[in-house]
Amino acid sequence: MELLGYFLHALTPLNLSLALVGVVLGTIIGALPGLSATMAVAVLVPFTFTMDPASGMIALGAIYTGAIYGGAFAAILVNTPGTPSSIATTFDGYPMARRGDGGLAVTLATLASVVGGLVGALALLFLAPPLARVALAFGPAEYFWLAIFGLTLIAALSVGNTLKGLIGACLGLLLSMVGVAVVGGDVRLTAGMPVFLGGIDVVSALIGLYCVPVILDLVATNRGHLGFASDDKGYRLLEAMRIAWASKFNVIRSSVIGTVIGILPGAGGSIAGLVSYTEARRASPNAANFGKGEPDGVIATEAANNATVGGGFIPTLVLGIPGTPPDAIILGALLVQGMKIGPQLFNSEADIVYTFIYGLLLATLLMLPAGLLIGRYAYRSIITFPKSLLVPTIAFLTVVGSFAIHSNVQDAQMMFVLGVIAWILDRFGFQPSPIVLGLVLGQIAEQGFVQTWLIGNATGNLLGMYFGRPISIAIIAAAVIALYYPFYAEWRAKRRRSEPLTEIALDAEAHPEDIPADPVPAARVRDIGGMTLAVIFIVVGGLALFDTSRMSMMGSVFPRAISILLIGLSLTLLARSFLGRGVRPPKPETDAASRRRIVLAVIFGLWVFAIPLLGFATSSLIAFVAMMFLAEYERQTAAVWLRRTAAAVATVIVFWLLMSQVLLLRVPSGFLF
Amino acid sequence: MKIKTIFAATVGLSLLAVMPAVAQSASDFPTKPMTYIIPFDAGGESDISARFQQAEWKEHAGQDVVIQYQAGAGGAQAWSKLNDIAGDGYTIMGINLPHTILQPLEGDVGYKTDELTPVHYFHYTPNAVFVPADSQFSTLQELIDYAKSNPGMVTFAGSGSKSANNLGQLQFDEAAGVKTTYVPFSGTGPSVTAVLGNQTLAGFNYVTSAMNQGDALRMLAVASEERMPAFPDVPTFKELGFDIVGGAYRGVAVPASTPEDIRKKISDIVAAINADPDFVKKMEDGGFVLTDITYDKMPDFVSKMKTEYSEGAKALGIGQ
Repeated sequence: MELLGYFLHALTPLNLSLALVGVVLGTIIGALPGLSATMAVAVLVPFTFTMDPASGMIALGAIYTGAIYGGAFAAILVNTPGTPSSIATTFDGYPMARRGDGGLAVTLATLASVVGGLVGALALLFLAPPLARVALAFGPAEYFWLAIFGLTLIAALSVGNTLKGLIGACLGLLLSMVGVAVVGGDVRLTAGMPVFLGGIDVVSALIGLYCVPVILDLVATNRGHLGFASDDKGYRLLEAMRIAWASKFNVIRSSVIGTVIGILPGAGGSIAGLVSYTEARRASPNAANFGKGEPDGVIATEAANNATVGGGFIPTLVLGIPGTPPDAIILGALLVQGMKIGPQLFNSEADIVYTFIYGLLLATLLMLPAGLLIGRYAYRSIITFPKSLLVPTIAFLTVVGSFAIHSNVQDAQMMFVLGVIAWILDRFGFQPSPIVLGLVLGQIAEQGFVQTWLIGNATGNLLGMYFGRPISIAIIAAAVIALYYPFYAEWRAKRRRSEPLTEIALDAEAHPEDIPADPVPAARVRDIGGMTLAVIFIVVGGLALFDTSRMSMMGSVFPRAISILLIGLSLTLLARSFLGRGVRPPKPETDAASRRRIVLAVIFGLWVFAIPLLGFATSSLIAFVAMMFLAEYERQTAAVWLRRTAAAVATVIVFWLLMSQVLLLRVPSGFLF
Repeated sequence: MKIKTIFAATVGLSLLAVMPAVAQSASDFPTKPMTYIIPFDAGGESDISARFQQAEWKEHAGQDVVIQYQAGAGGAQAWSKLNDIAGDGYTIMGINLPHTILQPLEGDVGYKTDELTPVHYFHYTPNAVFVPADSQFSTLQELIDYAKSNPGMVTFAGSGSKSANNLGQLQFDEAAGVKTTYVPFSGTGPSVTAVLGNQTLAGFNYVTSAMNQGDALRMLAVASEERMPAFPDVPTFKELGFDIVGGAYRGVAVPASTPEDIRKKISDIVAAINADPDFVKKMEDGGFVLTDITYDKMPDFVSKMKTEYSEGAKALGIGQ
């Protein structure tokens, strides 16, 4: 009954308002790609030094859980994960939004996040000490296989196009190895440029790979960004609850997966989302609809990533080993408060720990009303914003986000370059998601692989290390099942004729008319673009292979294997393009559309490369206004332009002040400001 | 009309905000919050010790300090950019040894040891050998005996390749005449987890690594000159007959363009915090050893360390 007393401690007006403010702040920060939970928590830690430890932790925990949830908004509305945790939310959330179910997707994400967050926090409350043992049972081999399990998702994401998906994954894996290797310490694949020493930043790469193509496509047509109904029915809460109830097993399974993966130090929300997405797809009777706007995909990812919050606190508090970067900062804050972290914490500081856990539970519950309101506002803004403001605003946010991570303009430039490459690749059938999976999972896979090899070699039990450990065997089995189960499920579904969830959502009331389908090009043509790219990839693979010749044994194993694989796959693609029956040509495009697209890319490029010269604010203002005119298709009066220019100036200045004065980032000032 | 007023007001406001700070003397430095860049991820020793400093910063500097993380390339990412930052004293950066000596030896990492300007090295964390509490080894000698009869089979988890931990393990191999296997992890957290979970036989970590684990870990030897106050029962390598003293030093650096008097002032602030009883207690409880290498002692200290680590590194095959 002591636990009940702690519950009352968490209910003080101060703690409740900290939880609410934290969740709101976190959700907004998480929704802006590039501004991360880590950054928010790092900036706010000093304010908690003067607070009572439990209240301080409640505030930080609320921001953290809010930020993980907020990432879903950007994923659903602009196809860009606000945090890496919501990568898999883009797979189905954005297609839902495109067809007019954006409001439903946001509400579903909110429900799933709340349930996931509650499951994680309850595990922390009742099962923390035993669950902490999971973190210890996971060795290098298990991390390696977990990453491989995540990579099996590529097969599902590139159905009918597996070869190109695998090539994309190899490219992502090579990107993940750029820079100084953790294992071996070699400097790899940097082309001799110090800029690449630190590697490709995952968050700025995510923003580039997912968001830049959206912006480029947005400007090319006059069509609205998202579909929406004229008689928009608001939250569609009841409908969302019906869908969530129908897939209650998915919600629970994903929450449990998220909690367990959250416990693993170094795994994190992105893997949790990807793994539970894979599992949801495997178990779903309508696996074929995943990636095309299947509500279960959004539910799985969002339940899992919020469950990692509570899960991540388990090793942090029980073992003193932070599960995720925000946990690490919160751990530091506790040490500053003079608390002794470790196995005794739950007894010696029971009051603080349990008050905090209840606070986290309350914050998670508060996410429901707060999230629905913020999500509603975000959705309405996105669909009512004129395109001529939407395009530059999204572009501006990509630059702000990729810059803010390390106060580094080169990250923004990298973001842009990768984005343009992603658009070109996508046009020829190489989708961004396999590249992203390779990039996100590459380091974990490589470190796990080499560590396992070192330990196996030292103990003379190489095979046993990789294949003989019980948890490894279970993960390998799950990966194999995930690869082959969908084929079986499809066959079974056909036999049973069960109605897929997607169709329930499609049939729902208030559903707008479908976006007109693009006309199917009749004839198949030889895949010249794909073949050209294959030749380029062979050259890239060759250069990477050449680079491995001067690396240490430890550092060269993985890049060598991957570059050989890339060359092999690209050769296969070339051969198949020569002999095969060709592909459908890319959508034909009017000259006007491609002209706008190219001009936008040029403005964007000049912008990110002019920042160090002209200053952040100046170059952003110029680019913002230029994009504004470029994205407008109608004639507008001078008053409209004046209003929009004012909006442009205000947006740039607000973010500039936020970065330079609040977050104290070193914003380049160039000649001007 | 209204829009114009708003426009004028915003432009005016923003101009105010960007007015360059009036040149100031060191006597009233600092007059606004400072930024403290940690070249690693949160949660490591660099971060924790900086957070301890942050809690006392305002009292001794008169202004707050904001901590930012700029991890990458084992710190080289941030250090290679240090001298691009304005040298007004308001941006300072954590700096570590042996990292800033060993990394440039390895090749072009974007900076040279002598291009960095440390103003104060305020603590160091000795290396230590750990085993889990249920391990078969209760003394270092037992571990050495096992390593002698099973060459290569003793696995040490440590933080990163070519790091202070890695160097310590190589020195240990040479001094004890054994061959062990070093398994690099992506930081102290994962490597301690591996030791706790019996993934490796032992760990070559920092003393501080064990602070949060209670009795779950056993420390067999510590690479400090004398026994640590927080661990009076753990012998030093020296006592056991191995001349191994080592670990990582951590300090504060400024951009090269920072004026002398500001460098001195920042060194003074760090020194004053180092003398603060609250800070001393938290650091010592955490297993950190405070050092007071102020700006005036820096040239001697850095050149001494350079000789020590360069020779050690060469003998062990690093940087050739």
